[in-house]
Parts: sequence; C-alpha cells; structure tokens
Amino acid sequence: MKVEVGDAIPAWTMENVTPERMKTVAAILRDPTPIHWDREATRKLGLEGRLLNQSPINLGYVVNMLMAWAGPTCIRRIRTEFPLPVFDGERVSAGGVVTAIETEGDSRVAECEVWLDLDDGTRKVHARAWIALPEETE
Amino acid sequence: MIPAKAAMQRLVGHRFPGGHYQIEHWENFLLSEATGIEPLPDALAHPVHLFHVPINGVGTSITELFRLAEVDRSAPVSIDYYDWTIHTPIREGETYALSGGITAYERTEREGAPTVDSFTYEIDVAGEGGALAAQVAFRWHYWRFDS
Repeated sequence: MKVEVGDAIPAWTMENVTPERMKTVAAILRDPTPIHWDREATRKLGLEGRLLNQSPINLGYVVNMLMAWAGPTCIRRIRTEFPLPVFDGERVSAGGVVTAIETEGDSRVAECEVWLDLDDGTRKVHARAWIALPEETE
Repeated sequence: MIPAKAAMQRLVGHRFPGGHYQIEHWENFLLSEATGIEPLPDALAHPVHLFHVPINGVGTSITELFRLAEVDRSAPVSIDYYDWTIHTPIREGETYALSGGITAYERTEREGAPTVDSFTYEIDVAGEGGALAAQVAFRWHYWRFDS
C-alpha cells in the first residue's frame, strides 16, 4: 500500500444512527446513563427527546474507517475528543488525512488527523491516530 | 449540592481493585454490529472494547465512577478525551489483566457557569503472558449545579 503525506483516507459512513443499537450498546457497556435510551431524560435536558449515541460508538465509526483503509490490526494509538454529541437519526461520515509518516524499524506508521462529520460539515468527533501501514507494494 | 473540592482531590491516587476480563464472541459480535460492521477475522475484537473492558475488568463500573465523584445523576457528564494505545491486537477468548486508577483531578469554576469537575482515569491492559497489550486514559467532566 503506497501512502504519502497529504493522502485522504477513504470515507466511511453510518447512514442512520439508530436507537436500537444504542440500547444494545448500553447493555453491553453496563452504562446506566439514560440519555442513550430514555427520551424523557433528554427532554428534561432541553434536547427535545433526541437520544445521544454513545461516544465509543462514535469513535467506532472512525475506527471502522481506519481498519477498512489499513487493516484490522492497524491502530497503534488514537486520541479522541468529542466536541458535539451524535443524535439518533443522524447520518455521519468518518474522514481523515495523513499528516506524517515515520519509520519504526521495518514498519511505517502514519500519523493521521481523523474526524466524524455530519453532511453539512458539523464536526462531532476529532482525533489523532497513529496507524501501522501495510507493506508498500508497487 | 456541589461536593467539596478537597474530597474530590483526595480521589487522585485511588486504585481500582484490579481484575480480569475475557471478551466473549457474542459481545464482540453485538458491539461490532453496533458500530456498523461484521466481526473482524481471526477472533480480533473490535477496538471499541477498549472503552468498557478496562472499566469493568479493573473492578469498577460507570456507576461506581459516578458514585466516587458524587455525581448528581440528573446533571450532565461529558467527555474530554479518550487516549488508547494498542501494543497488540485485542482478541476474543483471551484473558486480560487490568490495573489502574484515578490519576488527575481539576475543578473549573467560572462566573455565571456551572462548576465542572474533571477526572482522569488510566488503566493498563495486560495479556496472558503479562505483557502490556494496551493502555487507556480517559478524562470525563462532571457538571455540578447548586441545588
């Protein structure tokens, strides 16, 4: 895989963030926070009954993009911030760009700026990721 | 009521009990599906397991983290960051040993704004041979309101 600084990472899209998946995740995570499954709780917070997707799942969409690009064991490190919540019914797309490439022994690691955006460009997640690149081939 | 700052500060250095965690296939299947993909090949666990496996495996829980920080359950909790370093891929069926604790605390007070208490948690994930498989750090903000 030939990768250069400035390369865009192919986007990965979640077409519809669903309440059903949030409920599954709440159970797996043993997360008691009702904003993920109780619309009345988010009404009380002034969020009009919209459910908030779990942050690790928002990060999961970004991770899916990275794994689709460089393989399922590619992630060395990822540091993520969550400026805005993702709500049920939203369509979000992960994207990214390679900002640096370093050689560690026989392997190459790409430093990438990655994100999760709405179609209008609203940024929900941004992160910096260090990705082990597959061997370069012609 | 806003908890005393000194009591919150004393939580720095708190160590979780420690423990073990094994990711089951059903869990990996459902969590992978929740992110929108099929399970990874070769029993690889989806990296998002690095959210709940450290918390639950180290002998605590989200509920316990809230209790320690005296969180008012009607007040918002927000996330500053997650920082995950993966030394070796996480897999289903392997038993991981977890250790860690609370490593930092900061209170932010601003005129006309809610008080926010921020805690940093750090947990190590070791594989069956004892080698470090992953390290996670995360910082959560607990919003405080005078009642």
